[in-house]
Amino acid sequence: MTAQQPMRFILPLRLALIGLILFGQGAYIHAKALLAQVLLERAFEETVATGRETKPWSWADTWPVARIEVKRLGARAIVLAGSSGQALAFGPGHVEQTPDAGERGVAVYSAHRDRHFAFLKNVIVGDEIEVTRRDGRTFRYRVDTTSVVRFDASGIDPLAGGHELVLSTCWPFDALTQGPERYLVHATMLGPVSDTH
Amino acid sequence: MTTCDDIEADKRNERPSLARLVLFFVMQGVAVILVGFAALFLSFESVWSAERLSANYLKPGDARSGSLLIKNEEGYADASRLGVDVDLTVSGPTVRARITQIFRNPSKDWVEAVYVYPLPAGGAVDSLKMVIGDRVVVGDIKERQQAKAIYEQAKQSGQKAALTEQERPNIFTNSVANIGPGETVLVQIEYQEPVQQSGDTFSLRVPMVVAPRYNPAPVVQSVDFKPDGGGWGAIKSDPVPDRDRISPEVLDPATNAPVNPTRITVRLQAGFPLGEIKSHHHAIKTEKPDANTSILRLAEGPVPADRDFELTWKPLAETAPSVGLFRERVGDSDYLLAFVTPPSVEQAQQKPLPREVIFVIDNSGSMGGVSIVQAKASLIYALGRLQPNDRFNVIRFDHTMDMLFPSAVPADSEHIGRATSFVGALQANGGTELVPAMRAALSDKAGPTNYVRQVVFLTDGAIGNEQQLFETIDALRGRSRVFMVGIGSAPNTYLMTRAAELGRGTFTHIGSVEQVEERMRGLFAKLENPMVTNLVAKFSDASADMTPAAIPDVYRDEPLVLAARLDKLAGSVEIKGRIGDRPWMVTLPLADAAEGKGLSKLWARRKIADAEVARTTRQATPEDADKAILALALEHQLVTRLTSLVAVDKTPSRPQGEPLKVSELPINLPAGWDFEKVFGERPRAPATPMERRADTEETRVQIAALKRAQPVATAAPSTVTLPRTATDAELKMIAGVILLTFSLIVLVFNRRQMSLR
Repeated sequence: MTAQQPMRFILPLRLALIGLILFGQGAYIHAKALLAQVLLERAFEETVATGRETKPWSWADTWPVARIEVKRLGARAIVLAGSSGQALAFGPGHVEQTPDAGERGVAVYSAHRDRHFAFLKNVIVGDEIEVTRRDGRTFRYRVDTTSVVRFDASGIDPLAGGHELVLSTCWPFDALTQGPERYLVHATMLGPVSDTH
Repeated sequence: MTTCDDIEADKRNERPSLARLVLFFVMQGVAVILVGFAALFLSFESVWSAERLSANYLKPGDARSGSLLIKNEEGYADASRLGVDVDLTVSGPTVRARITQIFRNPSKDWVEAVYVYPLPAGGAVDSLKMVIGDRVVVGDIKERQQAKAIYEQAKQSGQKAALTEQERPNIFTNSVANIGPGETVLVQIEYQEPVQQSGDTFSLRVPMVVAPRYNPAPVVQSVDFKPDGGGWGAIKSDPVPDRDRISPEVLDPATNAPVNPTRITVRLQAGFPLGEIKSHHHAIKTEKPDANTSILRLAEGPVPADRDFELTWKPLAETAPSVGLFRERVGDSDYLLAFVTPPSVEQAQQKPLPREVIFVIDNSGSMGGVSIVQAKASLIYALGRLQPNDRFNVIRFDHTMDMLFPSAVPADSEHIGRATSFVGALQANGGTELVPAMRAALSDKAGPTNYVRQVVFLTDGAIGNEQQLFETIDALRGRSRVFMVGIGSAPNTYLMTRAAELGRGTFTHIGSVEQVEERMRGLFAKLENPMVTNLVAKFSDASADMTPAAIPDVYRDEPLVLAARLDKLAGSVEIKGRIGDRPWMVTLPLADAAEGKGLSKLWARRKIADAEVARTTRQATPEDADKAILALALEHQLVTRLTSLVAVDKTPSRPQGEPLKVSELPINLPAGWDFEKVFGERPRAPATPMERRADTEETRVQIAALKRAQPVATAAPSTVTLPRTATDAELKMIAGVILLTFSLIVLVFNRRQMSLR
């Protein structure tokens, strides 16, 4: 072993470390989303049971407000209040200043394409989406159309008449970078579901 | 055989390294999961704070910006609409203005309308009328609190009422209570103002919009030490205590059609044959019903109230009359108004004194758009006019401040060149902290004493803490003279005129890029030529209460304006002074004065302004000054800081039990302003979500949310902005794997090389 040897390892080790950190960050985003949904599920159950806003963990600044379920695909996700970057890291967000599900207007929920709303690419017209609110009431929606729009030209008027739901995520699904386009799933309410759980 | 051995050796070497590779991957996987989960709990703090930015855009008017949206059940179509009719009559030296505001309530609710509007700083508001159908209710002048109480009382009992209050000498508020559904109420105020004169040009201006003001935050308290306080002082908490009252909602021109359509008519009776008549910012058409009168109207019908109306006229004769003398008898007193323009005396024999000029340029956000272009052009023109033996410096400010040179430098070509490129590179952004800039400009580092020290201050004056600025100028003025250059379509003329008065300089307004050269040339004529100093006026027979009490120096082409109350109209007035180093005198026989209108109000208004100045400069105690102001205001029926006009309709109109909603009428952004520069980014998501059920808990929650996140109210939202929903997780993971693989290859390669050796 010569004195040069450690030098020869420094570069690959450094690269390995950077690679590890990058991979860790990526994995962290997924891990966070995965773990958070478990905690959120628990907090949401409690919210529905107690009727009070329950934070999923003590230092969270958001709380679960609804559960979205597509039974045909076996997909479900707990929706958080607000659509800030922090909230979206853990689950779908209820976009500010749009009404709650079941209210008149267009309720808009938004989530990451590679995580909670990855199932949207499999949603087809005619699918039923169920949204359970924090007061325990569940509303059933039917998918009418899907569309791709720019983020700042969604054409959604949150105060439009009718009872509608829009699920939004980034488009295209398999892109690696962030882009201005959004994929929208439009659904119209069929009515409340009597049996709540 | 050696080759075989070599191969054998190689194979033996490879097998353990393969196992090591697998082990490495397993370890790596474990490490990744560990790091991932550790990071999940460790990095929360920083992740949370990453996007907490919206609070920066809060502005004082915020609290009310949401209120307009919930006040009617209809939706976003806001409650009340306003039209404005401006009718001006110029008779000789005075302007009588009648401003009619038309409040229309298209909603189904009873509405109280509140409208903030500007008037000329020298205007004396003396009349308020409210017209409902065919009934006219005339307002009375009352002390401010009393007027407010009367108004509130009427509002409660369902009577129609109107209240005119002064927020600043050039900002007023009209409140109209109990406008019924579908009803229209006219509110008419009148004011009196002197005509402005400069050289042979006469002018008037009608401000149309209160420009959004920068109100410094009260975070840093300033301490107010009285000169004889023995070390005890009081902490002044907020530099702009009435910030809410002067910050009406401003509509973003990008998303709203202009509001407040305004009609303007001017009846011009100058008292001499008219030459050129020019409206600087609006197209006009002119009629001439008789030789002495011209009637001017807007050429293209009503205009949005988003820029000042400026009208100038010149006499047909080569030179303007240099003297004007007018009188009015009210009660048992005579009032006199005199205009005298001293002759221009060229200083042929001796060279003018060298000057030290400090230029201050405002590059705050409110100057964004064309204002900063005007300011830069003006300053670059000014730099070009400096003489080689002058000294100069340049200060730029927003909420920060830079001084180009540590102290004033000679105006040689190198320094001028540096200053020109410094000015050329300025961008408009940030807040308007005018006071520190003024303080820096006035700090006179005892340069050569034979220099004349002049401060040229280019700004729109869009601040709410005027009083602080006045105090600064008064305290630090020293030998410097302050020349205010007002920039943009709606500068704060009250700030400009009062600052110039306290700084013993002048106010120049530049309203468009085309005016830059002409107006700056006029300003430089004032800066470069000797002024008329040591002015005194003496009445031979009458005893006079004169304003201004001590006549300020008069600059080139400016008239000396005197107002006085006399016990009898007899004898003459003699005005004496020095132009440069030569004595000058003029005598005006009072018997020759022409009849004028509203002179008593102008005199009273000037006296009130003097009292306010005395209060600022502590020549009078606040109590004495207030007493004097109140007495003058009540005697002459004027709206002041301490008095308001209130009109109450005797018959109640709103039925008992019907609720009354407040409607604060939005105003336009002044023309040429850049909305985002003033208010920060446009709100990304528009306001209010729910179906509006007035006063339910949920609505209140929504309003709280509005206050928090929404910097400025915008009207009807049409679309939702969708959040970003892509992560770079995959990208990072792929990059991570590539890097790891690469490093592994390098590692393996290294080992191999070593073992080969």
